[in-house]
Amino acid sequence: MTDRLSRSLDRISRVRGVRGSMFVAAEDGIMVVQLLMEGVNGRAVAAFAASLARKVSGAAAATGAGKVRFIQMAAEGGTLLVAQAPPELLVVAVADPGVNVGLARLEMMRAAEGAAR
Amino acid sequence: MSTTVVEAWTERPLVRFVAQSSARIVVVMTPAGQVLAQHGFTRAVDLMSASALGAAIMASSGALAQQVGEAGFGALYHAGQRHGIHLAGCDTPRGRLIVLTVFGKETSIGLVQLFHDEFVTALRQAAPAMEERKPILAADFESELNKSLSSLFRR
Amino acid sequence: MSLVNFTTREITCKIVYYGPGRSGKTTNLQYIYGQVPDDRRGRMVSLATQTDRTLFFDFLPLDLGSISGFTTKFQLYTVPGQVYYNATRKLVLQGADGVVFVADSQLRQLDENLESLQNLHVNVLEHGMDIRTLPMVVQFNKQDLPRELILSPGEMDDALNFRGLPTFPADALHGAGVFETLKAISAEVLRKLSEGAATARRG
Repeated sequence: MTDRLSRSLDRISRVRGVRGSMFVAAEDGIMVVQLLMEGVNGRAVAAFAASLARKVSGAAAATGAGKVRFIQMAAEGGTLLVAQAPPELLVVAVADPGVNVGLARLEMMRAAEGAAR
Repeated sequence: MSTTVVEAWTERPLVRFVAQSSARIVVVMTPAGQVLAQHGFTRAVDLMSASALGAAIMASSGALAQQVGEAGFGALYHAGQRHGIHLAGCDTPRGRLIVLTVFGKETSIGLVQLFHDEFVTALRQAAPAMEERKPILAADFESELNKSLSSLFRR
Repeated sequence: MSLVNFTTREITCKIVYYGPGRSGKTTNLQYIYGQVPDDRRGRMVSLATQTDRTLFFDFLPLDLGSISGFTTKFQLYTVPGQVYYNATRKLVLQGADGVVFVADSQLRQLDENLESLQNLHVNVLEHGMDIRTLPMVVQFNKQDLPRELILSPGEMDDALNFRGLPTFPADALHGAGVFETLKAISAEVLRKLSEGAATARRG
């Protein structure tokens, strides 16, 4: 299982501009498997990504938008991408501001599907 | 929710930790279970019991760690149905301290761990060195003690 | 070590009831719990086995009231007396400000008393504390039992009290001697925090 997840992360990290990716336990906000460049604070990213996903899911449910599948947060210094990987995981990527989000998202959704199998 | 501190230097780090982590209950105590600061307890009684039990868990898990050849456990986490409990020790100039954190579904163990590390750093920076104990009670304290105990036992 | 808060003027001290299995340590705490008004005591926590033997400790917080302008709180603990619970016994002793040694006055329990007293010395030493400066009193419990089954307070004193500590005959089940014991250890513990003791030491 861990090997399979690691291979998925490897594909995400090959997308230009991605500085790290990880599977995160959605409820606990802790890393399960991670592949990070030096300088990326994985624990902080995992904790905040899970918190963000929970809040966005709550907002989506309240507005009738349904289940959240993907979150993109663009900030001045970087981009945070989060994909839901049922049943209890999140795929999280940290990237530079100019990252090709479409490509990164494709690989993240593949990773999420692979984790669910 | 109320925050009370026995030693003033703990207040600022504690308030910040509670705000950041969204923890419901936090107790900073000595390894003997004596409370230095707390947030979230409304009854002193429960606070004292919780501290005694928290200190006991840390002491027994530390002893267990030693028996299996470990220097000690960094932190203990218990995931309950409605609450999580995080218990960890840290060394400060004030001596060894234990932090007990109880949190609900509005936060996560990941966030608690993350901010706990910052909390420990802040406690270390704020902690004064241990001072030599000066006499604090009057020499004739015994008559007051006798009166207190007599009223305690209704004699 | 007792915790002193100068801002809120509070003192908190830890007192441990030590002694062999079934000597009456928990009974002491239960009697105190039953006698003290609700607003002066906290919840009594007992970590016991299914047969009501102490597994880890009993815990009872007490509010003694104001002494020398300080709100004084005591935390009473018991240790498990059974020999094979030494690991947990040692843990409870950590940070103790005073010890009540509860001895079982029954003749057939003399060896257990001696063994427990020795064990106390070892555990105190392992915590880096000095037994000679640790406030301590001895209670000779179960003095209510038939005379032929027990040692008298004088005989118990000869057998156990090598250090000339304050001793108290007791029947903890019915409360005799419980109050006197607590009063004595409280005074011993607080004396360490008093000017009188400091003066005496300097003298």
